[in-house]
Amino acid sequence: MIDLIGLIWSGLVSGCQYAIGAIGLVLIFKSCKVVNFAHGNIAGLAAFLIYAVTLEESTGINWLLGSLYAIAAVIMLAAIIYVLIMPIVFKSDITSTIATLGAGLIIQGITQIVYGADIVALDLPIPDWRYDLGPIVFTSYNLLVFTITLLTIGVLYFAIDKSKIGVAFRSVSSNPFASQVCGLNLSKVQLISWIAAGIVSAIAAVLIVPTTFLSTTSVATFMLLAFVAAVVGGFNSIAGAVVGGLLVGVLNNLFAFYLGSELQNTYMVVVILLILNFFPNGLMGTGGGVSRV
Amino acid sequence: MLGAKTPPAAVTFKYGLMIVLAVLPIIGPQNYWVFTLGLSFSFAIIIISVSFLVRYGGEVSIGHGVFAAIGAYTVAMLEKYFSLSLFISLPLGVIAGALAALIVAVPSRRISGIYLTVVTMVVALSLPELLLYFTSFTGGYEGLHTSGSAIEGMSAKNQGYYFPLVGLIFIDYILRNFRASRQAMSLLLSRTSKLAGESFGISGSWSRISCFTISGAIAAFGGGLLAFNATAISPNNFTVWTSFYLLVGSVVSLYSLSFFGGLVGGLFIAFIPILLAGFGDLVLVFYGATLLIVVVGGNVLQKYTKLFEQKDYLK
Repeated sequence: MIDLIGLIWSGLVSGCQYAIGAIGLVLIFKSCKVVNFAHGNIAGLAAFLIYAVTLEESTGINWLLGSLYAIAAVIMLAAIIYVLIMPIVFKSDITSTIATLGAGLIIQGITQIVYGADIVALDLPIPDWRYDLGPIVFTSYNLLVFTITLLTIGVLYFAIDKSKIGVAFRSVSSNPFASQVCGLNLSKVQLISWIAAGIVSAIAAVLIVPTTFLSTTSVATFMLLAFVAAVVGGFNSIAGAVVGGLLVGVLNNLFAFYLGSELQNTYMVVVILLILNFFPNGLMGTGGGVSRV
Repeated sequence: MLGAKTPPAAVTFKYGLMIVLAVLPIIGPQNYWVFTLGLSFSFAIIIISVSFLVRYGGEVSIGHGVFAAIGAYTVAMLEKYFSLSLFISLPLGVIAGALAALIVAVPSRRISGIYLTVVTMVVALSLPELLLYFTSFTGGYEGLHTSGSAIEGMSAKNQGYYFPLVGLIFIDYILRNFRASRQAMSLLLSRTSKLAGESFGISGSWSRISCFTISGAIAAFGGGLLAFNATAISPNNFTVWTSFYLLVGSVVSLYSLSFFGGLVGGLFIAFIPILLAGFGDLVLVFYGATLLIVVVGGNVLQKYTKLFEQKDYLK
């Protein structure tokens, strides 16, 4: 039982990371019906940019500077990818998804060319603090993950629910044609969602890297489970992304502990197939899994 | 025959190409190129399996490396443990691939579009793990070896070339005839409109499962030939990247199911890494750029000319 609580707790921490990753995917999916396969690669590049700036001296100022660079870079990248696929976004969901895969390969290749096969550590500039409450361990990192996740969700919720652009986003998401008829500029709304998703991916990268190491593939690999989280939760639901992320995080931990870590991905496949068998749209999605003809 | 009316020039070109390829090892480029051409024939078959799912199912898979791997490992394991020749192990590999595809297709029968794509990707992620878990059978990281010989007295070099070539011609022939079959008609109807299909008694689930299974069988066929031709296979050959590359090949061939189209994709996959070997990770950039150019550029060309008319298989 003590084990279980500890596992669930640490699973929730990594679940938050998957959730943030998945939220970025969902934002784009909701506005464009495209799955951004470049998401993980963009996040990986962002992490390396921060690493490059903080390499000399890992001070708070350098971190701030690095994060600004990274956010500027992801915004640019997201915008470029969106502009590239803009002509095909509404022609075919899957074709534009394939195009994002192409963009992802390019970004991945560039990251590998520039940063080589380096495997480095990137630590957050936060004080080392820890408090054990039985099996539940509070560390400054854990608390930061929870805080940032809640903050991200809060900001997004507020932006989507209350702001003008949020209303536009929701209307494009539920009926692009009707919103266009009403005078909304689809491309603008979509571009903004891509940029927002890019920023979220950079946040995810910052949270992911301290738990693993930073290599040219580590962030992208981690993000693959964010795809799983998005599918499990329902690709068109932000709440679903959070639920899916937490579920994936906790289950992954439990599988690794009770069944061994050799077949972790395989257990995940079984979970996905089981869930999609009963909920073809994911746990909280609506009408996304069944094809949009 | 329905839907398969090819202009005479194209037919001449196709048979001409087949003949040239058939005599190529005799007039003799270096062994290395013959070997790589053999690889591209095997890849061509696997790529056709990806395109098959696109054309007949309207779905994209980034997990077909898995079914290819199952064909490949079946061939290699049957040779290692039972000394079975390719003539027996390849059909068994195809059956194994079809069964594996069935196992994935049944629970995912109701999902489509990007949901299915992501599921196939996760299946591809779990494959290396499974191969390593069963190291005692699969040889773990080192993988397995095959003799690369099924007919005594014929050089291994020629066998590695001609078996995949004949396999590719065979698949081309089968799929050409398949197009006119009742099965193909019902798959196409169901792809075009699930509702129309259902009103004709073709359930959406059934067409998805059968389409995915056939596609998996073709992939396993190509994978088995790949194991035979490459003479060594390991989990590294079948990572999720392999499945990405297969999709790249399929897109580059414009989802073609023909001999020539498959070959274009196969050559692309087999030769680009060699040609760009000196540039390392540039291969990734090149693949990515090609995907973008074909997908986005194709759309632009299509808009302004009739040269590049792509049908919308994917909704």
